Amino acid sequence: MFRRPTFHGTGGTLFGIHVVNTLLTLVTLGVYYFWAKTRLRQYLFGQTAIEGDRFAYHGTGRELLLGTLKAALVFGLPILLLNAVRDVLDVPAPVKVVAALLSASLIFVFFPVAMVGARRYRLGRTSWRGIRFSFRGRVWEMVKIVLSGSFFTALTFGLYYPFFLVARQTFMVSHSYFGNERFWFDGRGRDLFRSFLLAILLTLPTLGLCWVWYVARKRRYFWDHTAFGLARFSCTVTGPALLGLWVVNGLLLLCTLGLAWPWVRVRSIQFAFRYLALMGPLDLGRIQQEAQQVSALGEGLSGFFDSGFDLA
Amino acid sequence: MRSDWTGSYLDGRSAARQPATVRLMREGLEITTAAAGTRFWPYRELRQTQGFYAGEEVRLERGGELPETLLIADPAFLESLHEAAPHVGLRFHDPRRRAARLRWTLAAAAGVLAATAAIYLWGIPLAAVLVTPHVPVAWEEAVGRSAVGVLAPPERRCEDPALGAALSTIVGRLTAGRPSSPYTVRVYVVNRSVVNAVAVPGGSVVIFRGLLERTRTPEELAGVLAHELQHVLLRHTTRAVIQDVGTGLLLMALTGDMTGPMAYGLETARALGELRYSRRAEEEADREGMKMLLAARVDPAGMLAFFETIRKEEGAQPEVLKYLSSHPMPTERIARLEALAAAAGPAEPVLPGEDWPALTRRC
Repeated sequence: MFRRPTFHGTGGTLFGIHVVNTLLTLVTLGVYYFWAKTRLRQYLFGQTAIEGDRFAYHGTGRELLLGTLKAALVFGLPILLLNAVRDVLDVPAPVKVVAALLSASLIFVFFPVAMVGARRYRLGRTSWRGIRFSFRGRVWEMVKIVLSGSFFTALTFGLYYPFFLVARQTFMVSHSYFGNERFWFDGRGRDLFRSFLLAILLTLPTLGLCWVWYVARKRRYFWDHTAFGLARFSCTVTGPALLGLWVVNGLLLLCTLGLAWPWVRVRSIQFAFRYLALMGPLDLGRIQQEAQQVSALGEGLSGFFDSGFDLA
Repeated sequence: MRSDWTGSYLDGRSAARQPATVRLMREGLEITTAAAGTRFWPYRELRQTQGFYAGEEVRLERGGELPETLLIADPAFLESLHEAAPHVGLRFHDPRRRAARLRWTLAAAAGVLAATAAIYLWGIPLAAVLVTPHVPVAWEEAVGRSAVGVLAPPERRCEDPALGAALSTIVGRLTAGRPSSPYTVRVYVVNRSVVNAVAVPGGSVVIFRGLLERTRTPEELAGVLAHELQHVLLRHTTRAVIQDVGTGLLLMALTGDMTGPMAYGLETARALGELRYSRRAEEEADREGMKMLLAARVDPAGMLAFFETIRKEEGAQPEVLKYLSSHPMPTERIARLEALAAAAGPAEPVLPGEDWPALTRRC
């Protein structure tokens, strides 16, 4: 069995949605932004199909707004205050150092928290054939991965980076579910390391162009090692194809001052699906819905960290 | 109107599609499946989540957390639904209204253009004018210190005492009428051949040797300084930063996103957008600078003569291009300054008895 996802949207329709979104965003001085983002996702998810059935996005603008407000309250405001202590207030130097350290560590923790929160929210708000996706990884696990990953990457002058990437991908994929069925990722850092090392060595002779090939290789590797039940994903994207996509997309955006982005977006999705397939048997009869509490409104701080939230 | 349709039913617990027949009634749908028989779905409990665009299946959902779903592939179903139950109104999409949707989208496009123009022409400049006075001078000074460090590194500064005294006299003359200014003005002369002068936020002006040597009288330099001092006093850098942020936000609202290659396209748009704002600041500094000269009883002919020199050298002297790129010098700009200078009263020499050309070469 061989299945490809398909995308049915058009740049023109996306542009029309974008025009209405833009007007409402301008008129409401930006408040509509969250609803605009939701409209956009509803369209993009709704135009994506596999096995003839389309995905559905169930998020709301209100949830996105509250998620952003929460993040601003828990991270934005403290970071702003600490930076003010560091730069503006007239306090002794040790206090400034402590403020700078606290601010830096908050920023550092923010990224894994935001990544997990966004994934939890987006998957939890996505369904196919009436069955919800979900993400069940714990945010502190991600913080640990990012913490140790950054540490070892710095220690090895960047050579550890592919191992870090694989650890992150393992965490992100293996805690993703469709109903009660789990996704699997069995990639290993050392496989990616060879390509990474090659890309570093070829950077000068190819003037950096080899990194396009590395990105293509990474994409293939990540998809080829992702499985769902007995089925496995397969990706056949190549460096030249990816380079062609990027050059044309870049030119389109450059020549239209960014106005062509709906078409660029559609081109990128269609490109990704052209090379992506799900191979093997898909036993849909076995999959059962499992209710997950994915609210954008977690209670308390721990609730905040492990409830999904999204920054739009 | 057709009342019987075929579709698929999803129970919200498994991903299996169950074939279903659907009958359109006045108050709801009658749905029959092999497994569960016939049930009735009132319209008011249903919501449509798909089928708004050509080629999409119609999807109707019922229930909260884990809804049941009905899928009907034939888009004509919606038209029949509206005929069978005209009272449902906007609860379900009506494909016959798609032409109107297109008209609304076009109207929205016109609205976007109008709103963008209004925000760009009035909204952002107004916001900048309102916010600028509330930015602490201490912040400008902090930014200015690091800018001076880059533009005028200590080893490149001309520390000649006679030149320094002459510059202080000129600045003193110009600022005598404004004792309440929050800025302490400092002028740095930098030993570089470029013909340029830069106003740094927080009260500093950097003048390059190339420009200094091209002035034939102290009045000419006073003209350049008056212009640059106005940039400082009118807080044009702070205003430019606020306008920069405003333009960025506007572009973000217009494109929805600013990541990846998008950022490059937007950078060009942003640079183009700011040209208008910077031209405006230049005109303002000209006008207010000329007023400053007149109030200090400095002969305005010096400012005009210097700008005229610069304009004539355009193209012939690549060094001059630097000043022109930040200070465009079209003929109408000089004409505007001449009109303002016409109101000049009797002038007093700025540095009587000094050998100016010799002073400018002491750097």
